[in-house]
Amino acid sequence: MVTFEDVGKRFGDRSVLAGVSGQLRPGVVLVVTGPNGAGKSTLLNILSGLIRASRGVVSYRDGRGELPRERWFSVLGVAAPDMAVYEELSAMENLRLFTRLRGLRRSDTSLAALLQELGLAPREHHRPVATYSSGQKQRVKLAQALVHTPPVLLLDEPSSNLDAAGHELVASLLAQRRPTTAIAVATNDPREMAWGDEEIALAR
Amino acid sequence: MLGEALAVLAKELRSELRSRVALNAILLFALTTLVAVAYQIGPYRIHEEDRPHLLAALLWIILFFAATSGLARVFVKEEDAHTAKTLRLAARPGAVFAGKFAFNVVLLGTLELVVVPLFCVLLGYRVAGLLGLVLLLAAGTVALAAVATMVAAIISRASGSGTLFAVLTVPLALPLLVMLIQGTRAAAGSAELAAVLPALRGIVSLAGVTLVSSVFLFPVVWHD
Repeated sequence: MVTFEDVGKRFGDRSVLAGVSGQLRPGVVLVVTGPNGAGKSTLLNILSGLIRASRGVVSYRDGRGELPRERWFSVLGVAAPDMAVYEELSAMENLRLFTRLRGLRRSDTSLAALLQELGLAPREHHRPVATYSSGQKQRVKLAQALVHTPPVLLLDEPSSNLDAAGHELVASLLAQRRPTTAIAVATNDPREMAWGDEEIALAR
Repeated sequence: MLGEALAVLAKELRSELRSRVALNAILLFALTTLVAVAYQIGPYRIHEEDRPHLLAALLWIILFFAATSGLARVFVKEEDAHTAKTLRLAARPGAVFAGKFAFNVVLLGTLELVVVPLFCVLLGYRVAGLLGLVLLLAAGTVALAAVATMVAAIISRASGSGTLFAVLTVPLALPLLVMLIQGTRAAAGSAELAAVLPALRGIVSLAGVTLVSSVFLFPVVWHD
């Protein structure tokens, strides 16, 4: 479970986020909405530990207690527009890399199954990502966020670049993982907003 | 941690073998400079007594500046390609540093394998203490890769990172460069390993200090 209280962020003298509180827990999808520049991505970056909040507290708890900040990444899956996978590598090589980086072992069969679940046909698995369409790249990006079955998922505009079928696919993936995964989605897309059980609406 | 670092190294090697950007950059720089130097100086235009000093300095100047044209890429390319954030969220900082440092060692080693024999042939550089030179090259590679990897991590998020890398690396690596030149000159003049030991000790110490300080500094640089 992830709890954040009175979280705020300033870049120089500009405040981009002020006093936001909430909770991520399994079974509940938290949707973060707001106009461009309201701080949706900043909030997700703070929750992932990529940037430090200027004020407020974020805490991760598992069954054994509070997780130190340097261990947050081990329970996190994140996909965001400003994140990319390695374009020189194939989708399969990317997934192998991201499992090994987390000290895990997954068979190629299970990685191929995940890619297929995300709508990438087997003939696409071994081509360099550089040759993919933007929608296919988005699917690989989502696969790297899901490959280690993380208990916390932070998704920033997860169905951007995806067609209607891709959007439905993401919706069904989230529905499958919802009971066991704490999920936050930052979005302005009304279709993605409909996935939410709770909402934090940020104002600029 | 070792498995994760090896995964980073394997990724770097695979990416580089497919794109060859860093390898092409450093080899092109090194070979162009080497040919220009060889054409102007050749094996006969330096007095015999000046050869050990001048050729040792020229060898390391070529290797050092060729290296600075490619070693920063390990981190700069992650920022440019927007993969840095993905990597930050997937791997422990120690594994990232170790993998990238190992890749820079491989890259520098490859550069030396090509440039050093060519340099010796084109400029008629005779080395009496071959073992001493090999040890110096090995220690110098580790030390230079350690300095370059750490500086690359520091500058990767800055704008104008290429210029910053050179500006920061040159003063930090200057003592190393001086010791490498002195050691190479000693190896050229004497077959005794003892001749290169003072320089070798200094280089190994500098590599050790840089690597140990990187262990503490890198997580802060990488995450904040």
